[in-house]
Amino acid sequence: MTPETAVVQALNGISFGALLFILAAGLSLIFGMMDVVNLAHGAFYMLGAYITLTVVQRTGQFWLALVLAPLLIGVLGLVIEPLLLRRLRGRHLDQVLLTIGVSLVIADLVGLTWGREIRSIPFPAGLDHAISIMGGDYPAYRLFVIAFGVALAAVLAVVHRRTRVGALIRAGVDDAPMLAALGVDIDRLFAITFAVGAALAGLAGVIAAPVFGIYPGMDVDYLIYSLVVVVVGGLGTLSGAVAGSALIGPVDTFGRVLFPQFALALIFAVMALVLLLRPTGLLGRIRIAR
Amino acid sequence: MSENEGAERRTYRLTRRRFLAASSAAALAACGPAATPGPSGASVTPTATPGPALKIGMLLPFTKVYAELGNSMQRATKLYLKQKGQALANRPVTVVYEDEANDPVVGAQKTQKFIDSDRVDLMMGIVATPIAYAVRNAIDAAKLIFIETNAGGNALTRTTTDCKPSCKSKYIFRSSFSSYQISYPIGEYFATQKGVKEVFTFVADYGFGTESAADFTSGFTKGGGKITGSLKAPLGSADFLPFVTQLKGQQTKDIYSFFSGTDAINYIRAWTQLGMTAAGYKMNGAGFLTEQDVLKEVGDQASGATTSLFWAVTLDNAENKAFVDAYQKEYSLLPDVFAVQAWDGMQAVDLALQAVKGDTTNKDAFIAALENVKFKSPRGDFEFDKDTHNPIQDIYIREVKVQSGQAVNTIVGKVARVTDPGK
Repeated sequence: MTPETAVVQALNGISFGALLFILAAGLSLIFGMMDVVNLAHGAFYMLGAYITLTVVQRTGQFWLALVLAPLLIGVLGLVIEPLLLRRLRGRHLDQVLLTIGVSLVIADLVGLTWGREIRSIPFPAGLDHAISIMGGDYPAYRLFVIAFGVALAAVLAVVHRRTRVGALIRAGVDDAPMLAALGVDIDRLFAITFAVGAALAGLAGVIAAPVFGIYPGMDVDYLIYSLVVVVVGGLGTLSGAVAGSALIGPVDTFGRVLFPQFALALIFAVMALVLLLRPTGLLGRIRIAR
Repeated sequence: MSENEGAERRTYRLTRRRFLAASSAAALAACGPAATPGPSGASVTPTATPGPALKIGMLLPFTKVYAELGNSMQRATKLYLKQKGQALANRPVTVVYEDEANDPVVGAQKTQKFIDSDRVDLMMGIVATPIAYAVRNAIDAAKLIFIETNAGGNALTRTTTDCKPSCKSKYIFRSSFSSYQISYPIGEYFATQKGVKEVFTFVADYGFGTESAADFTSGFTKGGGKITGSLKAPLGSADFLPFVTQLKGQQTKDIYSFFSGTDAINYIRAWTQLGMTAAGYKMNGAGFLTEQDVLKEVGDQASGATTSLFWAVTLDNAENKAFVDAYQKEYSLLPDVFAVQAWDGMQAVDLALQAVKGDTTNKDAFIAALENVKFKSPRGDFEFDKDTHNPIQDIYIREVKVQSGQAVNTIVGKVARVTDPGK
C-alpha cells in the first residue's frame, strides 16, 4: 500500500467510524438508561434513510430531511416506549424480544411503502464535489461525515456533562430506581431517552443515505455493526461509543482491503479480543446487577 | 402472498381447479380460432374439452434482498400465461408461487412441499445459486422436471467429481445462463478483439463472483492477455470506497468486476466519487453490473462501462420488441433480464408441452421434447444444449451510453453461439 493510498484509506476508515458513532450513540444511550438492547435500532436507521429518499425526491432538499427524519422517528419512539416497552419494564429479555418484533414490523412496512428495490440519492448540493488530497480526488461528503460525527460527539458530551438533562441521564444510568425515588418522573425520562435514541438512529440513516445506499436488509447489516461498536466501546456510555466506533471503523476498512478473506470475521475477532482483556469494553464500567 | 395462495389451494383445490378449467374453456371458446398468437408464433389450439390441469410450482424470492427479482419473474410468468389464455397445450395452468426467502433451508422445505403436498407437474424459479445447489438432489430423486430461471452456478449443469458442489441432472434445465457464459467470452473478446493487454479483477467474494473472475481470467489469458492482480469484496459490503481506493492505488487501467444489485450501485458510486474515469480507469464486468435495476439508480455514472450478457433491453429483434412492448403495456415499466429468463422458461415449457400433446406423464418423452425445443427468444435464438441442459446462446458485449438523457446498454459486439464447456 502506497502512502497516498494509506492516507485515503485512513480517511475512509475514520468517516465510516464517524457514521458508526452516530448510529451507536443512540443504541448506547437507550441501553445505558433503560437496560434494553434495542434491536429495533437498525429499523429506525433504515426508516431514516427511506424518509430521506422521499424528502429528496419530493423537494430536492437533503438538509430538510436531516431535520425532518430524526424528528419523525423521535415522535415514533415517543409513541413506542409508553405504548409497548413500558408494559414490560423490568423484564429485560421480554423487552428485547419486543424490539425484535417492532423491527420486523417496521422493516415490512418500509418494504410495503417504498418497495423492495435498491434505491439511492445524489449527494446534497455543495458536497457533491471532490477535494484534492495527496494528489487524488476525495469526496467532500465523506469529510462532511467526519465533521458531523465529531461535532455531534462534542454536542452530546456537553449535554451529558453540563446540562440538567445530562445530569438526569447520568443519574439514571447509575441507578434508575433511586432516581425515581428522588421524585424524578422516570416514565417521562425513559420515553424521552427512547425517543432521542431513535432519533439518533434516524439521523444516522439520513447521513448514510447518500453514501451507503438504501435497500431492504440495511437495517440488519447496520444493527450488527452498531452492536459490535457498543460492545467493544463499553455498554451504555457516550465515551464508549466514541472509542468503539473509532476502533471498529478503521479496523473494518483496513481489514477489508488487507485481509479480504477474513473481512467479516475481523471485527468480531477484535470484539472477542477486547472482551477477553476488558470484559466491560474499552471504556465500560462495571455495572451493578439489579 | 404466496402463503395465502397455498392455503387457499389446499382448502378449495377441486372447486378452484374446476373453476379455472371452466373459465379458461369459456375464454378459449370466446376467443375462437384466432386465439392470441404468442411472440414465438405458436398459438393455442382451442378445443371444447381442455385437458387435465397443469400445475407449476414456482419458487421465487418475494422477500429479502432479491425480492424485486422474484417480482420481475412473476410478472413475466403471469404475462405469458395471460397471452396464452391461462393454458398451455390445451391444459389449464395453475401456478403455485412460493417464497424461497433467499435461504437454502427455506428453499429445500418449499421444494419438498411442491413434491409431497402440491404434487406439481413441474417446477421453475430459484434466484440464488446456493439454493439451486441445495435442492438439486431432492429434485433429481423425485424425478421432478425443473427449469432453473436464474441461478448461474456452473456446476448445476456440469458433470463434477462426486457431484460437489452440485452437478447436472437429466431432470434439470436452465433457461438463464451459466457464469462461464457471461464471463469467459468477454475475456476472450477483450484480448483478441478489443486489444486489451492487462486487466485487474475485482469481484464479490462468494461462489459466483469467484467463478466469474476465474472464467474471465481463463478467457482473457487464453487470448494472450495478462491479469495483473485481483481483489475481492465481501458480498453486501457496506462501504465500497476502501476497495476503489485500492483499485486506484494500482496501475492497471482496465478493471473486470462481478457485482450485482446494491453492491453494483455502491461500487459504481464509489468509482465516481474517487474520479476513476477521469484518472483513466475503465469499468468492465459481467452484465449484471449494469442491468436495469442498477442503471436506474446510477444513471450516467456508469457511462462507458463495458459488460457482457445474453440480452439487453435495446436488443434489436422482433421478439424483443414484442416482449418489451407487451411487458411495458401490462406493467408500465421496462422488463429486465430476469423477466426474460422466466419468459423463456415458460416458452420452452409451452413448446415442449405442445410437442408431447400436453402429456407430462411420460417423463422421458417430455425431457426429450424440452431438449429439442428451438425458438426465437427476446435474446435471439434459444435452444438447450442436449448434454448439459444449459442454453446455447449469443453473448452480447454492451457499453453503457447516455441516449436522450437515459443511460442504456448499447450493443457494441457479439460472441455467437456460446455453449458452456460442461459435459
